[in-house]
Amino acid sequence: MNHRMSNIITILAAVGVIYAVFFIVPPAEGLGEKVRIVFFHIPAAWVSVMAFVLSALWALRYLNTHQMEYDRKSATAAGLGFFFCLLATISGALFAKITWGAYWNWDPRQTTIFILLLIYGASFALRTAIDDTEQRAKISSAYSLLAIVVMPFLVFVIPRYYFSLHPSPVINSAAKIAMDPVMLYTLIAALLVASALFRQLFIYYIERTRRRDLAQKDSPEGGGRL
Amino acid sequence: MHTKKLTWPNSAWAILYKDLLCEFRTRYALGTLTMFTLVTLSGISMTLAGAAISSSIAAMLLWIILFFCAMAGLARTFVYEQEAGTLFTLRLYANGQAVLAGKLLFNILLLQLVTALLIPLFLIFLNIEVHLWSQLVYVLFFGTVGVAAVATLTAFMVSCTNAKGSLFTVITFPLLLPQFLTAIAATGQILADTIPGWNECFFLAGYDATVIAAASLLFDYLWYD
Repeated sequence: MNHRMSNIITILAAVGVIYAVFFIVPPAEGLGEKVRIVFFHIPAAWVSVMAFVLSALWALRYLNTHQMEYDRKSATAAGLGFFFCLLATISGALFAKITWGAYWNWDPRQTTIFILLLIYGASFALRTAIDDTEQRAKISSAYSLLAIVVMPFLVFVIPRYYFSLHPSPVINSAAKIAMDPVMLYTLIAALLVASALFRQLFIYYIERTRRRDLAQKDSPEGGGRL
Repeated sequence: MHTKKLTWPNSAWAILYKDLLCEFRTRYALGTLTMFTLVTLSGISMTLAGAAISSSIAAMLLWIILFFCAMAGLARTFVYEQEAGTLFTLRLYANGQAVLAGKLLFNILLLQLVTALLIPLFLIFLNIEVHLWSQLVYVLFFGTVGVAAVATLTAFMVSCTNAKGSLFTVITFPLLLPQFLTAIAATGQILADTIPGWNECFFLAGYDATVIAAASLLFDYLWYD
């Protein structure tokens, strides 16, 4: 299947999921119509975590092989992870305003996601401050791996130590899924579509970066930034 | 010429000794950190003008001073080597792990000295009484070890960049935040005469162990070309 075809399928699936979220999913008990934000918020958060983990894995591969392709993949995944993390933060803030009365109240999960944004924002600042391509790839790979080591402390430890208004995860510690079946299937579909969207964007940006790198290599000056 | 190959621990001690000797001769880092501490502390104390503050705000101020003191001096360990042109020599003579260990020990020692200087002044200027000294020492020790561990690795990273000073704080702060928040919470409890829970104590020690292990694993990738 070529990239254009998978783009069309992803867009159609996204339209289907949006339709299901607004016209098929019933209002939730207690939350009413507000529950629909969850179908954007959870997939965005899921994709951002997946992207950061992939970025770290490619960073590790770069450090072991020194092939620039892995650095390209790691940087692209981190960039997309940051974008989806921003979407999760905004959708979470909207949900917080509707349900708790304020966009931001430093709930442990808001703190966690804010620190994640800071970490990856800092990693982009680090990347732009290094001119040498190999040095940049090496140092930002190491920083990405250090960030992924810190991430469990943020994602799993801090929210469990402090009181949180944030609802329990869908799959909680008791391993019970507390959700209406229609909602659950829609959420699973939304997760799959968000993952597919990430894949399509990832392929697009990787190709674009590769073409730019080749063009810079062929140009009389050579080198240049990623 | 007789050359003697140093073992790993001896190399680390030699690097620590060299840094201590350089520091003793120039007194740059300790002097800067001490003055930074005094300036910040006097600024806070003068602004408060004797007004009472809650234990959680006092804890927050204490850790903010400690963090920015660390940021003012810890980057120097590697930036100085880079600027003086001795980083290459260090690469020739010592292995990565020994350099990391030596630099980390130096940074830990430096931060402990600054903390030992800051704490009595902080308690006097802000008129705070502490009854749980052993718990405070535990939190301060493990908190500053974490700061030193992350800062040693990020100091090496920024020594290879174009924007050394400003970037050091930018890339170190987010990585330290989980430990920073826990240390502030635990110190706040101690200043309010409440013994912090095991959660905080394990978190601080666990974070230190994790970042030291990660720094050790990653440093060789950065050290060797």
